[in-house]
Amino acid sequence: MTEPLMALERVCKWYPVGSERLTVLQDVSFAVYPGEFVSIMGPSGSGKSTLMHILGCLDQPSSGRYVLRGRPVDGLTGDELARVRNREIGFVFQNFHLLPRMTALRNVELPLVYAGVAREERRRRALARLEEVGLRDRISHLPNELSGGQKQRVAIARALVNKPAILLADEPTGALDTRTGREIMGIFTELHQRGVTIVVITHDPGVASFAQRILHMLDGRLVGEERGRGA
Amino acid sequence: MNFSEMIAASWSSLMANKLRSMLTMLGILIGVASIIAIVAIGQGGKAAVITAIESQGAEETIQILPREVVEPGLPQPGQVLKFTDQDFQLVQGFTGVASVSYSLYGQGVVVYRNHQVNASIQAGPAQLNDLAHFVVVDGRMFTDADVAAHRSVAVLSQSLAGKLFGSGIDPVGKVVRIAGHPLQVVGVAASTQFNLFASILGADYIYLPATTCHDFFPWWNITEMDVRIAPGTDKADLSQRLVTVLNIHAHNPNAFEDASGFLIGVERIVGTVTSILTLVIGAVAGIALVVGGVGVMNIMLVSVTERTQEIGIRMSLGATRRAILLQFLTESVMITVMGGSLGILLGVLASWIVHWTTPLPSVVSWQAVAVGFLFSVATGVICGIYPANKAARLDPIDALRYE
Repeated sequence: MTEPLMALERVCKWYPVGSERLTVLQDVSFAVYPGEFVSIMGPSGSGKSTLMHILGCLDQPSSGRYVLRGRPVDGLTGDELARVRNREIGFVFQNFHLLPRMTALRNVELPLVYAGVAREERRRRALARLEEVGLRDRISHLPNELSGGQKQRVAIARALVNKPAILLADEPTGALDTRTGREIMGIFTELHQRGVTIVVITHDPGVASFAQRILHMLDGRLVGEERGRGA
Repeated sequence: MNFSEMIAASWSSLMANKLRSMLTMLGILIGVASIIAIVAIGQGGKAAVITAIESQGAEETIQILPREVVEPGLPQPGQVLKFTDQDFQLVQGFTGVASVSYSLYGQGVVVYRNHQVNASIQAGPAQLNDLAHFVVVDGRMFTDADVAAHRSVAVLSQSLAGKLFGSGIDPVGKVVRIAGHPLQVVGVAASTQFNLFASILGADYIYLPATTCHDFFPWWNITEMDVRIAPGTDKADLSQRLVTVLNIHAHNPNAFEDASGFLIGVERIVGTVTSILTLVIGAVAGIALVVGGVGVMNIMLVSVTERTQEIGIRMSLGATRRAILLQFLTESVMITVMGGSLGILLGVLASWIVHWTTPLPSVVSWQAVAVGFLFSVATGVICGIYPANKAARLDPIDALRYE
């Protein structure tokens, strides 16, 4: 059996509300193995966004362990977490989150800037990623000159540019029409076939079904698992 | 993120809000420009006053005055010591003394036909042009022979000549009157020194042989002895010996003093006064810089709020808190350094304009430029650190969600 790429062990997350605790995640345990394509599905308020923040090292569990590539992530300092986000996680957001004043190329280069990669190398790698998502001829465009689907492709190129362990997508099709959404999921499938590990968080069963495994969440717990089309 | 990328990123975000960036810079610009200009004009003015005072002394002449005249504070009329004939004979006998004469100063009305001008009278030896700093530009200076013979001759300053004769008439050879005494004009003089005091004291001078003046106004006390020294004589040493002997002769150890002592005293006072003035006005200009700094801080806070989501995105892509802090700090230092640099240019320009269009000379010192530059960097850091820190402390999740 191979080592899991990421593993959550009895992860809880709660927030203090007055003297009470508001529990958002309750004993969540699961593992993702290299090359897997996993969906986490649940209605809003099920705790999937909080889970995504923890998986993305934007937030830390209140209790339990999170191991990423064999290294426990809980207890890391802010700078160490920033480094993990930079090297190990590639984010794709619902609203693309591109920097509006930067060209597509500059947006894709940004993670490499924070990784301290030299200018020429940065450009070379960013161009290669943009080519993969079919935007070679849009590299000098600003985000507001691109369509929704193109923006999300730039975001995917940006997420992958630093060769992360995991591509983490939060409602990646939420701001797109159905056809474009399917295109983006097609790109995910293609990436998966090339060996990229992907975790998609969504409330949409149609989107979730592209994955190999679908984890169901409800009220802060994992309540079930099924196989998806991608299997 | 290295330095050049930081600069490029800051530049592009300043360019995204051109008008706002420029208005913010303006505050710093005005502050730095006024500090540079005020210090330049202050230092220039001080240097000019000191040069003017120093040029009152002549190289090869020792001017001896009663101490009451030399010491700050107005002398009481009637208490002022004067030199006697014996004093002059005494000094004449010293080795190193080439000649001894005296100078007289007063006011009088100079009359030519129906023109009357109130003028300053300066009387002295034939070397008076050295002592009073003028050159004869038309006609001649009165000579030792004129002095010895008590001749009724005079040299007029250009200003006085102009007022008495108007243009088109050569003053040389004309006869003017002073207190009823006729005087033949032998020359017209131009001042050789930058006369900072001209506008206050006036530029209407009539120069007479000391002997002639003494004949006209025998009641004027002789309160200045001009000792010309022989070549190769130690001026300071001779001055000290002369003063000592004159004091003994006057039975008063504090009777007389070398005028250079007076000049040094005045120089010190003028220096202190201008320094204090420069400091006070400079401090007022410093307040402008503080106000500019408050503007920078304000705009940086607005910028952090506006770009909260950008900060969240950058953090999600791996920006450390330090990188975010430095990004905003670079931006605020860039605003103040650009404003400060333009302010230095404007300040230098302003002091040049003052230099060329007014009698106040101004000197831009590299120290003032360096201080102006450092002040603008410091303002950028001090006013940028709080907003930058605020940006760096944002929670990445909250920042990402911010709309």
